[in-house]
Amino acid sequence: MGWKTLPLAFGLLFLVAACSGSSGSSETTDSGSDSPEPTASSSASDSSSSTGGGTPLEGGRFVRLFVDPPTLDPHLTTDATSAQIIVEVFGGLVTIDKDLNVVADLAESWDVSDDGRVYTFRIRPDATFHDGKPVTAEDVRWSLERATNPLTESPNVDQYLGDIVGVEAKIAGDALEISGVKVINERTIEITIDGSKSFFLAKLTYPTAFVLDKENVEASPKNWFRKPNGTGPFRMTEYKVGETLVLSRHEGYHLGPAKIAEVEMILSGGTSMLMYENDEIDIAGVGLADIDRLQDPNNSLNAELHQAAPQFSVQYIGLNVNEPPLDDVKVRRALNLAIDKREIATIVLGDQVVPATGILPPGFPGFSESVSGYKFDPEKALQLLKESKYGNDLDNLPPITITTPGSFGANVSLDMEVVLAMWEKNLGIKTEFQQTEFATFLKDLNKRRFQMFDIGWIADYPDPENFLDILFYSDSSNNHTNYNNPVVDSLLEQARVETDETKRFLIYNEVEQTILDDAPWIPLWYSGERYLLIKPNVKDYLQTPLIIPKLRHVYLTDE
Amino acid sequence: MLSNEAQPAIALRHASSRNYWAISLRRLLRKKVGVACLTIILLMYGSGVLASMVTPYGYNDQDLSITKQGPSISHPFGTDRLGRDILTRIIYGLRTTVIITVVTLVTGSLALGITMGLLAGYFGKWIDTLVMRVGEVTSAFPEIFLVLIIISTLKPPITDWVRGIEETVGIDIIRLGVVDYFVLSLALAIFSWFGMARLVRGQVLQARENQYVEAARAIGASTPRILTKHVLPNVMGPVIVMVSAGLAGVAGSEIFLSFLGIGIQPPTPSLGLMIFQNGSISVLRSDPHLLLFPVLTLSLLLFTFNLLGDAVNDAFNPRAR
Amino acid sequence: MGTYVIRRLAWLPVILLIISFITFVMGRFGPGDPIEIRAGQYNNEESIERIREQRGLNDNIFVQYGRYLKNVTRGDFGDSIALPGRTVGELLKKKMWVSAQLNIAALFLSVSIGIPLGLFAALRQGTFWDTSTVAFTLLGQSIPVFLTAPLLLLVFASWLDILPTHDWGGLFSTHTILPAIVMGVPGIAIITRLTRASTLEVISQDYIRTARSKGLSETTVQRRHVLRNAMIPVITMLGFSLAGIAFTSFIVERYFGIPGIGDLFISSIFARDYPIINAIVIIGTTMFVLANLIVDLIYPWLDPRIRLGGAHAE
Repeated sequence: MGWKTLPLAFGLLFLVAACSGSSGSSETTDSGSDSPEPTASSSASDSSSSTGGGTPLEGGRFVRLFVDPPTLDPHLTTDATSAQIIVEVFGGLVTIDKDLNVVADLAESWDVSDDGRVYTFRIRPDATFHDGKPVTAEDVRWSLERATNPLTESPNVDQYLGDIVGVEAKIAGDALEISGVKVINERTIEITIDGSKSFFLAKLTYPTAFVLDKENVEASPKNWFRKPNGTGPFRMTEYKVGETLVLSRHEGYHLGPAKIAEVEMILSGGTSMLMYENDEIDIAGVGLADIDRLQDPNNSLNAELHQAAPQFSVQYIGLNVNEPPLDDVKVRRALNLAIDKREIATIVLGDQVVPATGILPPGFPGFSESVSGYKFDPEKALQLLKESKYGNDLDNLPPITITTPGSFGANVSLDMEVVLAMWEKNLGIKTEFQQTEFATFLKDLNKRRFQMFDIGWIADYPDPENFLDILFYSDSSNNHTNYNNPVVDSLLEQARVETDETKRFLIYNEVEQTILDDAPWIPLWYSGERYLLIKPNVKDYLQTPLIIPKLRHVYLTDE
Repeated sequence: MLSNEAQPAIALRHASSRNYWAISLRRLLRKKVGVACLTIILLMYGSGVLASMVTPYGYNDQDLSITKQGPSISHPFGTDRLGRDILTRIIYGLRTTVIITVVTLVTGSLALGITMGLLAGYFGKWIDTLVMRVGEVTSAFPEIFLVLIIISTLKPPITDWVRGIEETVGIDIIRLGVVDYFVLSLALAIFSWFGMARLVRGQVLQARENQYVEAARAIGASTPRILTKHVLPNVMGPVIVMVSAGLAGVAGSEIFLSFLGIGIQPPTPSLGLMIFQNGSISVLRSDPHLLLFPVLTLSLLLFTFNLLGDAVNDAFNPRAR
Repeated sequence: MGTYVIRRLAWLPVILLIISFITFVMGRFGPGDPIEIRAGQYNNEESIERIREQRGLNDNIFVQYGRYLKNVTRGDFGDSIALPGRTVGELLKKKMWVSAQLNIAALFLSVSIGIPLGLFAALRQGTFWDTSTVAFTLLGQSIPVFLTAPLLLLVFASWLDILPTHDWGGLFSTHTILPAIVMGVPGIAIITRLTRASTLEVISQDYIRTARSKGLSETTVQRRHVLRNAMIPVITMLGFSLAGIAFTSFIVERYFGIPGIGDLFISSIFARDYPIINAIVIIGTTMFVLANLIVDLIYPWLDPRIRLGGAHAE
């Protein structure tokens, strides 16, 4: 979905306030929001208070505080806020279930050719749009064509559909249709990709690949999304910008209709704790300023506090490996070793984050305990620093500036202030701190102008390629640290085409370990909301580390 | 024409305008309120200026074992989320506020604003039109936007340039936050002059119709003399009120820009940031001292400054019954 | 007077053109690119360039500006970039109306309490009442919204539970009370003090003495001369408030969940959503210029010696 800061640019302003007045929760500006919720460690997601209690009620309305989604068009989705609503209203060939596996959505089954390049999907017969119209292979084809149409202006279609043969040509304007998409019959569609890529299916779970109704879109090309005819578990029955958004259960949903009848999202903002206590909303995020109070067992709300593992996202400090003194790997390792992450996570950030040991978060496909990062070791850090090529003249170490995106004043810089103080105490390095406004930050980041920067990366689909390849391949446009390791590059290329998953993940483990040893990053935390207040009568609200459709599992009881 | 009774009154006014400022100052010091305010302000400004000598701790001395503690003997204002002494940070924060407000107000509001207002009001015609229209253009601009752009574009090159000088001068200028202050104040000053100018102009329009001004002109006094000796003193009243109100505005802008992330950079303390970060119901319920102390400090500063403004106003315009 | 008004109004399009052009130029050449921001984390330079080309964002600045002007004169302010598919008009209209209502409520509070208090204090200059009135209003001005808003919410919406916690229900609903207080109370102080200061100025003027010596009753003196002339700086201030009538602080909006324009404006700046920014600049400028004009028209009515345009009346 984006750096943490992207949702920031659009809606976090509201979310931070939504949660706990203006003091944000953890160090990233998007936490303290009511968006993606964490899940328990590996596969199973944590359901809230799902164990017994109360008789289930039929239907009902679930209310939460939310933010105006920047867009409701799946093909234009680039941020987490929009995605959360879109996955409930629309759907694609495949989706992700609560155990984070890629499973069937509109496609009931599929085959992959031996060379791994041809995918044949069979659309389920009972798949319909909200208005009852059956979904056909032609709809799928049309949606893919629309997404790749330059006039649609989808900013990330290259990323998600670019593997399909012919998409590049069409985007460049050289073709009018995607050559790699072929409708076999009314319920079968064949997609050919340009190489054997195991992560292709995972990418199809992202909204850019979702299926739209041609009539719906063409009826009013500019406004169709106000009355969308999607295939998801909910219909959008009301949307007043800045006020409210209501989702209603789609009875004919092919994976089973939702238990809850309506979901209301309050978009006008306000203080979420207050609203929760006044019973105006059913769930509320917990910010840094509230966590101490709520963890006290004597507090009446303590029973409604739920904790889960953080999102699949990693907050890190990027080190530009071409800039002195960061061009010496020993310096980079020293910086890694000199931070006591545990202390910061617990004391300063109230356990809203989990200290990061590696790049991939725990529970993420490809995560392995065997990959080891840096533990806090100030003596070793100092020693490494002295061994580096700057070790003889530490007083004249080239100055280091760390840049962070302008923050909306939430406690974003708190952890940075501690990190800088730790570096000064343990290594004697004084770092300069520079905040810049977000748009400028983005521009300079993309131009690789920063020496050191603080940013986050949220997983978009459950595959290690989404982290390791995109961020560390030497040619990748998202490689902001100028990291260039030919060994890693060739391993990544191998992993792209390896069909055996176990072997693939082993390659990624090796990649991750190599990268950690080269230390172009200082991974800080796995973050994203860990604490949530949920009303006792609300059951099965899943806290998931990825954005997946999940509101249909929620139900209310008479508690 | 002037009646005979009015003559001596005018003469008296004219004569005293030379000592007008001195007399008024004395009058101010005689009032309890005036003295009290001056003392408090000097105290606050003073501690801000002498921050490094007055404070027992450094403003970035973190100690993660004593975070969020309430007031105690060793930490009269408690500690913040990183275990830093809040009293120390507030004093340094005062310094920040002082610098920014003084620089912005003096350059923007006072220097520029009063001058423009005087010129526009007194001379009228095309000068008036020019000043007013230019002012309208600068004011109509969304301040935040322009300030954002100005700071984003100007700060990096200025910072680079200053970094170059740091070597020769030998002081860590940038870390002191000088660049931050400078760019910020400059950007804010561009927008704060028109309000003052307009106000002054309004006052001048009134004042210049006064008979003693006419008289002075008739006597042949030069224009600058008329402006400073006759017009200006009579304009001071609302001006002072506005300056003290402007102080609040500038402090507010500083808060706002810190909020956007382009104000004063951490770890340099800023009252605004402290207030903003902790301005929530949750903090009020959990650790109110994090919010209350910075707020009380800022409020006290604004309060006394404004009160002083009024006392000064009274001193300049005693009730003449 | 008619010609004066026309002459002043003639400036409006000129100012508008200058300002909107400058904003436009900043959009084109300033730091930050709305398409890049919207693209999110996958920085694909080619697709960003492609989209820019398609939208004509790389064209010559004058061509772009001309296009923009043509649309604006037809009433089309374009579509938002950051919120695709929504027109600027629909986004602004509702929000500005809400903001305007809130501002009116706050202004009403400030003025209805401020002016009488200011007169009260001025007429009792030097007494205990004078100082305490001023001090009291000053308190209201000195405490920042970051304390008053959560405090009021805590007391009234949480503990006492008599006022709503969020949302907007129109000018005359209970939703208006808390935000209007938070916004209006600082204003009381300013208006009180301005009224007081200028009343004092006026009282000490010779012509008041003259009027009094002519034998007019005290109240007549007060009403006719003092009030009118003392109002000049207050009117100036009100003028500024009028100019910003449709703009509310987004901080207040955040605390109370009010769907006003402040939020949209800030997030538009962050996202470099130029269609919205341009529209707001144009509207803001127009209102500002008009407000200034109205204030200038009122000056002579308040003090007949001031002629329109500030010339000396004979």
